[in-house]
Amino acid sequence: MFLIFQRLWQVNWAEQWQYRANLLMYLLYWLVSPIIYLAVWTSIANANGDVKGFTANDFITYYMVLLIVDQATSNIVIHTFGYKIQDGTLSGELIKPIHPMLTNALVNNVAFKALTIMGLIPVWIILFFLFKPDFSGVALSGILIAIPAMILGFLISYLISATITALAFWTTRVYSIHEFYFALILLFSGQFVPLTLMPPIIQNIAQYLPFQLFIYYPIQLILGKLSVDQIIQGYVMAGIWLVVSFLLFTWVWRAGVKRFSAVGA
Amino acid sequence: MQTLKLLSSFLKVNIQMSLAYRADTVVNILLNFMWLGWELLSLNIIFSNTTSLGGWGLGELIALLGVFRLVNTMMMALIWPNTEKFNQSIRDGSMDYTILQPINSMFLVTFSRITVWRIWDLILAIVLIVVGINMSGDTTTAASILAFFLLTISGVIVIYSLWIVLIALTFWFTKFDNNVTILHALLDAGRYPATVYPVWLRMIVTFIIPVAVATTIPLQALRGDLNINQIILFFGVGVLSFWIATKVWKRGLKQYSGASS
Repeated sequence: MFLIFQRLWQVNWAEQWQYRANLLMYLLYWLVSPIIYLAVWTSIANANGDVKGFTANDFITYYMVLLIVDQATSNIVIHTFGYKIQDGTLSGELIKPIHPMLTNALVNNVAFKALTIMGLIPVWIILFFLFKPDFSGVALSGILIAIPAMILGFLISYLISATITALAFWTTRVYSIHEFYFALILLFSGQFVPLTLMPPIIQNIAQYLPFQLFIYYPIQLILGKLSVDQIIQGYVMAGIWLVVSFLLFTWVWRAGVKRFSAVGA
Repeated sequence: MQTLKLLSSFLKVNIQMSLAYRADTVVNILLNFMWLGWELLSLNIIFSNTTSLGGWGLGELIALLGVFRLVNTMMMALIWPNTEKFNQSIRDGSMDYTILQPINSMFLVTFSRITVWRIWDLILAIVLIVVGINMSGDTTTAASILAFFLLTISGVIVIYSLWIVLIALTFWFTKFDNNVTILHALLDAGRYPATVYPVWLRMIVTFIIPVAVATTIPLQALRGDLNINQIILFFGVGVLSFWIATKVWKRGLKQYSGASS
């Protein structure tokens, strides 16, 4: 099994490396929004002194950490896999004795992620000198405790996206569904603004949804803003959502594959 | 006259094409409303935490959102689909047929593909602008509204001209098919007044990829932040950039040699 993953890694790394120019363009697209939110909120904080206790530096550190966390937990499976179901190229992968979504596509995502993070590092350093965040509140323990949370966050986000991608077995509008899902992430994950500045009703719902595990929760762990109780609660939520999303995915996938008859076959 | 006739037949063809995918059109409009809801909610969140953003009020930001959506509509309804077609035509040489037509080739390249349902977006944008101006209230005068419209038009022309230059570069560098990505990526910066951005970012969105010229500057005219000389200057920039774009386009066409030779 380890050997299989090693080979898959080599193949997928080589494949992603081939598209490094496109990858930089993707990075550019994706960088703009957080930087704009950072600029908007720091300007508000500077004008008012603070925003409900958030100083300008709090916003800068939040979005600077967000750049890394979001890149670590997000995935592109809908774009790399959705078309395979639609045009039937999936059949070639189905006859292999390994699960296409949980091995090859997963490794492909990790390879993509490794490359974008490599591209992000120099950009992040430049932004660091432009915005001069004060990270004195960040402790090593916070970073260490956030790493497993980010891995869990990535796995949950991957499984949910994989479930949505698998809906392509039934509908051709899977990209529209994904766009809707993307809006939910924007609303409940803390991508736009730290969740505590959202309307109370959104905060209440967000607590129980998986989206904050992708962004808000790991950021708060790194910044050392959570009490022990909150840390435990977050990990418990992550555990529950991992199980739920895994069960959901396997159920949808099985039902989909049964239904699948490749186009042109 | 002939141009109008052509434009209406382009529109007709594109409507016919999109009628084949009616359900998709409905879904797209629904998603578009969802994003409008999100945009208004995000403004609401901002203004529940502050009374002004860089001195701008809620009404002004709604009007800005309208102008942003205007530019965005041009991006999604014209620039994006036509770029795809254009890049393809450079690769496979079908650009030959476009040049052979007895009509201005820049016109053909701009309007041959139109994402028709986006006309909705245009209406929404205008509603947002009107509502926003009304909300911002007493500071607007007839003169400032006139300046606003002039600079909105010139801003849209600046973005359009930049697009023409970017795709014309493909005549020289055939492999440059990421040509519009950078424009599209930075477009989101037009949602908020560029005056709140740090200097380096303001420089980029004003001078390099002038998104702010099409969004922030018309709104500044509406607020009365610009004097008459500045208004004339920015309008001149619009005219000048269009002139440059047509020159670059003509140069590029001379460079074009077909795909087979």
